[in-house]
Amino acid sequence: MTLTLVHLLPELLGTYGDRGNVEIASWRLRERGIKHDVLTVGIGDSIPTTADLYFLGGGEDDAQIKACQIVGTSLAKAVNNGAHVFAVCAGFQLLGTTFPASGGRTVEGLGIVPIETVSAKTRSVGEILSKPSIPIATLTGFENHAGQTRFLDELQPLGVVTNGIGNGLDTNIDGLVTEQIVGTYMHGPALARNPELADWILSRVIGDLVPLRAEVFNELHNERVNSVK
Amino acid sequence: MPLRLAIRIAHSFGVLSRLLRQGSGVMVGGRILLKLVPDAVHKLSKNRKVVLISGTNGKSTTTALIAQALSTKSLVASNSTGANLFAGLAFALSQNTSAPVAVLEVDEMVVPWAIAQTNPHLVVLLNLGRDQLDRLSEVRVVAQKWREVLRNLPASCAVLADADDPFVAWASMASVNVIWFTSGVHGHMDASTCPECGDILNWQNEGASYSCNCGFKKPNPEWILRGNTLLGPRNREIKITSAIPGKAALSNAARAVVASQYFGVDGDAAAKTISLITSVDGRFGALQIGQTKFRLMLSKNPASWRETLATSAEGPLNVLLFVNANTQDGKDTSWMWDVDFSPLQGRSVFVTGDRRLDLSARLTVSGINHRVVSNQLAASTTIGACDADLIASYTAFHRLAKGVKKS
Ligand SMILES: [Zn+2]
Repeated sequence: MTLTLVHLLPELLGTYGDRGNVEIASWRLRERGIKHDVLTVGIGDSIPTTADLYFLGGGEDDAQIKACQIVGTSLAKAVNNGAHVFAVCAGFQLLGTTFPASGGRTVEGLGIVPIETVSAKTRSVGEILSKPSIPIATLTGFENHAGQTRFLDELQPLGVVTNGIGNGLDTNIDGLVTEQIVGTYMHGPALARNPELADWILSRVIGDLVPLRAEVFNELHNERVNSVK
Repeated sequence: MPLRLAIRIAHSFGVLSRLLRQGSGVMVGGRILLKLVPDAVHKLSKNRKVVLISGTNGKSTTTALIAQALSTKSLVASNSTGANLFAGLAFALSQNTSAPVAVLEVDEMVVPWAIAQTNPHLVVLLNLGRDQLDRLSEVRVVAQKWREVLRNLPASCAVLADADDPFVAWASMASVNVIWFTSGVHGHMDASTCPECGDILNWQNEGASYSCNCGFKKPNPEWILRGNTLLGPRNREIKITSAIPGKAALSNAARAVVASQYFGVDGDAAAKTISLITSVDGRFGALQIGQTKFRLMLSKNPASWRETLATSAEGPLNVLLFVNANTQDGKDTSWMWDVDFSPLQGRSVFVTGDRRLDLSARLTVSGINHRVVSNQLAASTTIGACDADLIASYTAFHRLAKGVKKS
């Protein structure tokens, strides 16, 4: 069986180099000789509900609303079918019950996880560092978002923020982890800067992975972490 | 304080700053002038014909080309050093007060202020694309600001606007006197949704035109650049050539010709003047480092990288990429993943700069062989006595440009 990675609506959700996450996941599989397909779903394409791993990136207000309408119930169906999701920034917000839009509007999200996003007075911009709640190295990314995100139920954050804002609302946490979903405010893209996160997500989808020799990503990770410390 | 006195004081501080090697003196002089006479730009624009040039990419080059073409007819004041914020504009106008024409490059966010202060004769709007998102606003926010100020522009001021760019088009449609230009750019990476209503923007003819259900659509251009020919109203045809390489340079040259015509300079004569300009402020200038002769190029966002990589692909085998992430570069390097680096395939690639590891990771994933080097000297040691391209981000470029030989 060939693994299928889905890049959801890059024209709408891809403001911060988010396609990099898909490219890195694919590259890490390729280097290990693991067969897979990358399916880029554009505006007007039908969204598969039986793929293995879905990627959602960041986007501006209008684009986020459009993406939400287009995705509809398909991603929830895919998750019900056992799919995994990696969602960043606007894509992370989309997974929740509501998110804010221009003019003080509140827009209904995909409702896949019990989180809600509200608009904050100041934009969160800059390097973000967090201590992960999963057994991997310190997480590093760059955040740039106006919304802040609240858990509506008991949920596991992806990390405890040591530099930057993350989910905000004085929570000191970033992102979220469930059985199938990883959400975060880290772009950069996150999987380029955090090779261990990339492999952790991939191993949840396909099981144990052989180690990969890819020094440049480890060097990049260390450099970024040390640049903030 | 009388303007003349304020200018004299500002200029002395500018000279002092230069002598103390604190900089070119432009920023210091301009700031002091605005402090002493807050409406100095307004006063210095009176009885002059002003043209403002703005957009994400190409504004320095287009400004230089227009200034050069217009200077064949009259004295021209211009901010040729690229200082395009409040102080830079004030200083440029104060330096050459007898020049009846001013050609000013303006930062995208300063456009509303510059229009209000200078009462321009022409506004040239090039393009709007994602650029330094950690520091600047989203594209739509800038377009909205432009639209608001263009709506109130008097008919005596024309806007030369790019019809290929939905954001420039949307903003410019609000003004009454628009000269539409096209160079046939296809698609726009930030315009998946309509600037007017937020619905999906329909791109037709492989990205050559666009329209939305709300009625927003690409305007009909009256000046069309096709290959090297600029087609205008009344079957006008002007040959456009550029000594500066690349497609973008050619469209900037064409825009500069249209702008010059608007100022009463004959189009063919303007095209001739413009065709001879080889380098603007170090761009495409020759830089000798060790035994290597580099051609220096500036890239600062996905659109300009795409353009530069395409131009460089026809250049020498060796290429050095130099990426920093200081404030002026944008501290977020995620834009790298929006750039298709495949034109580098098969070339001899070196990467350096503060963020060379980001770039190395990016190239690794795209399967582009490259060497990470500590600096440009290290690259030159390996390259030796050959030609090479050096593509640098903003701060690296401006530091290196100081070493470019003035021709
Ligand atoms: Zn519309």
